[in-house]
Amino acid sequence: MTDVAAIERAAGLTRRAVLGGLGAIGAGAGAGALHAEPAPLRFGLAMPMTGGQATYGQDQVKAAQWGIEAVNAAGGVNGRMIEAVILDTQADARTGIEAVNRLISVEKVPVFVTAWSEVVKAVAPIANDSRVVELSVGANSPEIARLGDYVYTTFPLAEVDITAVARYSATTLGRKRAAVLFINNETGITAAQVYRNAFTRAGAQIVAYEAYDPKATDWTGQILKVRLASPDIIHIQGLVADTPQLIAQLRQLGMTQTISSYSAIYNPRLIQQLGQAANGVIATSLAPGASDSPAVKAYVERWKKEVGREPNGLPYTQYLYDVPFLITTVFRSLDDHGRPITGESFREQMVAIGTFQLPLTGKLAINPDHTVNKSVYLMQVQNGAWTQLAMVG
Amino acid sequence: MFSPLILVQILWTSLATTSCFVLFALAFALVLKVNRVFNFAQAAIMTVAFYAAFTAVARGGAPGWAGLLAALAGAAFMAVALQVLGFRALQRRRASSMFVFIFTLIVSELISYVAMLLFGTWPATIFPSLFWPVTMVGGIAVSQWDMLALGATAVALIATFAFLHLSRIGQAMTAVADNPDLAAFYGIDRNRAQLAAMVLAGLINGLAMFLYGTRAQVQPTSAIELLLFAIAATIIGGIGNLGGAVVTAVVLGLVQNASVLFIPSEWQGFLLYFFLFLAIVLFPRGVHLPVRKRPFRTVAAAARRPEEPAGG
Repeated sequence: MTDVAAIERAAGLTRRAVLGGLGAIGAGAGAGALHAEPAPLRFGLAMPMTGGQATYGQDQVKAAQWGIEAVNAAGGVNGRMIEAVILDTQADARTGIEAVNRLISVEKVPVFVTAWSEVVKAVAPIANDSRVVELSVGANSPEIARLGDYVYTTFPLAEVDITAVARYSATTLGRKRAAVLFINNETGITAAQVYRNAFTRAGAQIVAYEAYDPKATDWTGQILKVRLASPDIIHIQGLVADTPQLIAQLRQLGMTQTISSYSAIYNPRLIQQLGQAANGVIATSLAPGASDSPAVKAYVERWKKEVGREPNGLPYTQYLYDVPFLITTVFRSLDDHGRPITGESFREQMVAIGTFQLPLTGKLAINPDHTVNKSVYLMQVQNGAWTQLAMVG
Repeated sequence: MFSPLILVQILWTSLATTSCFVLFALAFALVLKVNRVFNFAQAAIMTVAFYAAFTAVARGGAPGWAGLLAALAGAAFMAVALQVLGFRALQRRRASSMFVFIFTLIVSELISYVAMLLFGTWPATIFPSLFWPVTMVGGIAVSQWDMLALGATAVALIATFAFLHLSRIGQAMTAVADNPDLAAFYGIDRNRAQLAAMVLAGLINGLAMFLYGTRAQVQPTSAIELLLFAIAATIIGGIGNLGGAVVTAVVLGLVQNASVLFIPSEWQGFLLYFFLFLAIVLFPRGVHLPVRKRPFRTVAAAARRPEEPAGG
């Protein structure tokens, strides 16, 4: 296991210094040019900065930049700074391919970070052919584990949290008849299958299984079909833009059953948008919350202080904050062994290290089958606030 | 399997949620009919309307009625700007209809990006809550929003058709739509009629986007997606046929929602494009019943005031 606590401690001290004197950085930039500083070690960051998913993408990039700041403030990789080359994917496969081609062919990065299942899958052949490591951070399609030798994830795939919420519903909550409503795209279809399999394996029954169009604004037909099936729990596998509205319509049409979903809806806005109708809604979180970790608490406070709000999709941003620490650990290990930093060497060293202790998401074990193991936090809206219901795994 | 209550509920909720789309389709069909522009820039008008209301209510703390006024004003302003600075200028330069169409596409994308820069991409609503109180009426869930949307849409439809048929400028718009050259010959100011059509369509869009934004989340790119439904309804309903576009929008909404009771729900999104495909291939002039032809002279004569000298 590699301990990055020293980096964090040092980062904390230096960050305070940085916050106390941002002007000094500007002044130092000129002076720095006089010294021959080693070139920074670079990695790619291909995320949606524009388009419908930029809400999450922009906050995740900001989190990664804070992670980079912290690493560099602690001395970087044996004195060399790290730097991210940030390109926009719009969460779109075609744009993602263009971005990753540039990262590999022009920017020559040995490793790049990306997210959103559609993009992660589309760029996987490029990563494998070029022998450059693709780190998926946030996408949860189970297929990601089977995309090739150079594709890894630091984020638990759908099997982990969706299986956890399905099992918990069937066993601990005692629900025996579930209806599944899912968005008819890659994200929804695959994850809904995972829920169905896990729920039925736990001895319960899926009584309705309904897709909806990604552009839908009215779900009356699906909801009434679900109502006919008389479920005792409704699981929604949608996106942040449609799920609150779908929950509102479920409640308006008289569906009072427990509603579960996944990490996409774990957000304070859901409660504001739905009011009383949000009570009882269950979501998953794949990272500890502010009440579980002082580091996360300080991180959330920083968001509130510097940005004026909590990040959109807090757990996702925690993973993005942590990824520069993982990359730095591998870079440093290669440097310590006197090995050149290439995609092939990065992959070998990352697999050899295997387990990483990361500041905001805790211990991360990368399994030989390209999956990772993490605890799942089940969160429920109770009395108008997200409350931890259980920790699974 | 399905009780009458289920079918009535689908009918009611679909009618209510389709009401915004009916207005989008009416606005699109109106501009297509009078200005002969396939106006993709309607998405820009819709975006401006929503964010005007959002700024007034969600950010400025203004009451709902002020948000509606902001949406109407924003949409009308954008419509006038489009007509005066865009379409009229292109008309003067004798730009081809394809060029005008491309211009509308660019405007819709441009405004979408401006909205993204100004407001970010987080889905937004005019009011903080998406949840509207519900009353059960004979076993049917009726939300306050349903009543508001249906009432407002009915008033807007009646007002629009009354305006087109009874007012002088409305009749001028109809005359220009029927035959612009002949209308000009009869002394009808084409520019004025087209500007009026854009403003009227803008106001309809403003109302529809306000209603939509009080129930659903909107992003800067949402209007472009919403517009596709309006375009499909206009094409299927018969280009130039306002009533056809309105009826088609209602029928499409109902069919799409009810379809999941009879076919796998994965096919729901496909239906719209399937109907559009069929309509274009089998009914290139639209699906509509034969209507009694009105002599142009009657329309044009009605558009002129009796005291005006013939021929302007």
